Amino acid sequence: MKKENTAFRYLINLVAIIILMVVFVVLSFHSNNTLKLKVAPAVWQCCYLIIMAASLNLVLGYLGQLSLGHCGFMAVGAYTSALISLALQRAGFYTEKNSIQFAITLIISIVAAAVVAALIGVIVGIPALRLKGDYLAIITLGFGMIIVNLINNIPFCGQQGLAEGAASSALYANGLGFTNDEKQSFMWVGVLIVVLCMTTMVMFVRSKFGRVIRAIRDNEIATSATGNDISYYKILTFVFSAFFAGIAGALYSCANVSLATTSFAFTNGSILNSVFIVVTVVVGGMGSMTGSVIAAIGMFLLNYTIKNGSWVNALPEFLKNVFTYPMLVYSIALVIVILFRPKGIMGDKELSLFDIPGYPKRIASYFKNKKAAKEV
Amino acid sequence: MKKRFLSVLLTGTLALSLTACGAAKEAAPAAEPAAETAEATEAAAPEGDTITLGLIGPMTGSLAVYGTHIQSGAELAIEQINADGGVKIGDKAYMLTTEVKDDQGDSTECLNSINALVSDGISLVIGSATSGCTSAITSVANSEGVCLITPSGTSDSLTTTMDYVFRTCFKDSFQGELAAKYAKDEGFSKIGIVYCSADTYSAGLRDAFTAAAGKLGLEIVAEESVASMAEVDYSNQFNKMVSAGAELVFTPFYYDVMGPYLVPQARQAGFSGVLLGADGVDNTETTIPDGMDLSVYNDVLFVNHYATELATSDVSSKFVTTYTDKYGETPNNFDALGYDAVLVYKAAMEKAGSADGAAVQAALADTSVVYDCASGTFSFDETGTPIKTGVLVGYSYEAGASEVTKTAIKVLSVE
Repeated sequence: MKKENTAFRYLINLVAIIILMVVFVVLSFHSNNTLKLKVAPAVWQCCYLIIMAASLNLVLGYLGQLSLGHCGFMAVGAYTSALISLALQRAGFYTEKNSIQFAITLIISIVAAAVVAALIGVIVGIPALRLKGDYLAIITLGFGMIIVNLINNIPFCGQQGLAEGAASSALYANGLGFTNDEKQSFMWVGVLIVVLCMTTMVMFVRSKFGRVIRAIRDNEIATSATGNDISYYKILTFVFSAFFAGIAGALYSCANVSLATTSFAFTNGSILNSVFIVVTVVVGGMGSMTGSVIAAIGMFLLNYTIKNGSWVNALPEFLKNVFTYPMLVYSIALVIVILFRPKGIMGDKELSLFDIPGYPKRIASYFKNKKAAKEV
Repeated sequence: MKKRFLSVLLTGTLALSLTACGAAKEAAPAAEPAAETAEATEAAAPEGDTITLGLIGPMTGSLAVYGTHIQSGAELAIEQINADGGVKIGDKAYMLTTEVKDDQGDSTECLNSINALVSDGISLVIGSATSGCTSAITSVANSEGVCLITPSGTSDSLTTTMDYVFRTCFKDSFQGELAAKYAKDEGFSKIGIVYCSADTYSAGLRDAFTAAAGKLGLEIVAEESVASMAEVDYSNQFNKMVSAGAELVFTPFYYDVMGPYLVPQARQAGFSGVLLGADGVDNTETTIPDGMDLSVYNDVLFVNHYATELATSDVSSKFVTTYTDKYGETPNNFDALGYDAVLVYKAAMEKAGSADGAAVQAALADTSVVYDCASGTFSFDETGTPIKTGVLVGYSYEAGASEVTKTAIKVLSVE
């Protein structure tokens, strides 16, 4: 019975993914101003935030190591893909984004971004993962800053890019950078990449590798005593995570016509920085892929609607003042989540489509138990 | 459970009290114009419709001074225009209002802001404050046919190829040239540069300064770079400047590091010459730490867009007096440039006879039009950058005074 059930579950999930893809493909070819100006940019931003959160979750949630420089890998991916696509554009390989040549460029850029980020992951991972806990956090923090400064000082990474650029924090030219129209018509590509990446990551976590890294998280010495090469698995996970951060970087350069290294810094004004990605993973639940997805989308929507939604204007005056400082709102949200749900929204469970019908019941019983516990 | 609710309550109160402090300061000047413009539009409602200008800038975050000052300058201009009967298009008068968006100095947020403005049907936008953010939205302005005037995006590449992008400030290469010209005129022969190679603004200025210095025959004896624009330690760099014997050091940084770190550390390293910066140095007086020996700020000079003391035209002196009356402080260059952006839009709308993006763009692209603005009288060159002069401003301190004074020294021009 258990076996059949699994096959049925896979089928349902597959159908759900197909429906999701169909919806986005339809939306992509539907012409509408709101879609173009609001939905499409939002979807692209969600895409890279989801991949960032999920890939960090591999290291933070499943391997149990704190990495504070995850945006460094994203920066590597973003600049690699932007410069490669720019080079191909300048070489005249493609002129229009609606051509087969551009599709090839896009694939090359994304793969290159992922591979370069993974290589950097190997270089950082080998020395860094000999350390544990706080020390690893400090090394990865340093790495994030080093990468940003390195990119700043590479002569062809700034201004108009390649030979025409001076080292600088902003790259104004980007071969991938989509305009609003293109963002909408390529929206399904972004979603497809997210689905592929998420599937790969979930498969990794459920594979024998995934079981070993969870064992490392729970008890390193015991895992090592059973004959597993701890360093190998740690570096493998770290590199795997960097690989996907590189893909997220490539998506970032699709979503932005100009790149600035401040976007990938340790902290900055936006919700894309190394600290915020850690926060997203913690809020979503360390060790829950679906939790990361939910938290990434939730954080994005919170940030986006505070700035551009009308509901903030409907709030009473004294509350509105809080919302003029979005960072304050995030910190309050974080405090609330940690107080009431210390494990994060999903804990270490995955959200399954089959569990949803049972949720109202579970929530009701949760409160009942609380009440009962209080009365006792 | 009780404990948990208590702690949430505590965080909530803490947050509210924090914003209460912040809001009290900021809301006082900000709320006033909002109320006034609302009244003005109400009064004018029977006469005609309103035109909304989009305004994007960093209203919160580390560069908030830029955004909030651009906003107060622009709101002052709108208030005055509305009081004078609004913008006359054809035989109809339109009132102006603004829709303000906060980009926090981040390019993605900036992009979201302009998209939201466009979807609200706004076709005239002022923003953003920094070159990095502005570069992220120029392509949207062009593809959606929205006019964009950046009050303070000085990077050279912003307006070169972009049809819908204009600015009211001068560009970096011009600023660097002015600075080099000053050094030459004052007879400095040994020049040092401390800059940040990682920043568009700083590196751009350094390139322009070096190029102009080369042409003018100035000798650059030492050049040092720091890792970021938020660097807090400049002592090594200035030790090198001192040992190279520099008489003047060019320091293209922002005000947030000049006051607390760069200037005091330069003096501590034994550098007693002139520190010459660019427009980012303006507002340094706001970041001087308490208890600092103020004499170190002598000989800190910078090239600026505008100075209240050198305001000669009617428009600029009117701007200075009305601004001081309204906000109770003297305007800085962001106020003036934000104010100018509104005046330029008004002139262009009246010339075009329409508030439509494409029509206004055509009017702005006419290089023969002369705009009489608060920061000077100028016309656009073919890329959309004003041809104007700069001002040299310096800080000085007299023994016994309680604060440093900022004085305009002279008008700089390349000719």
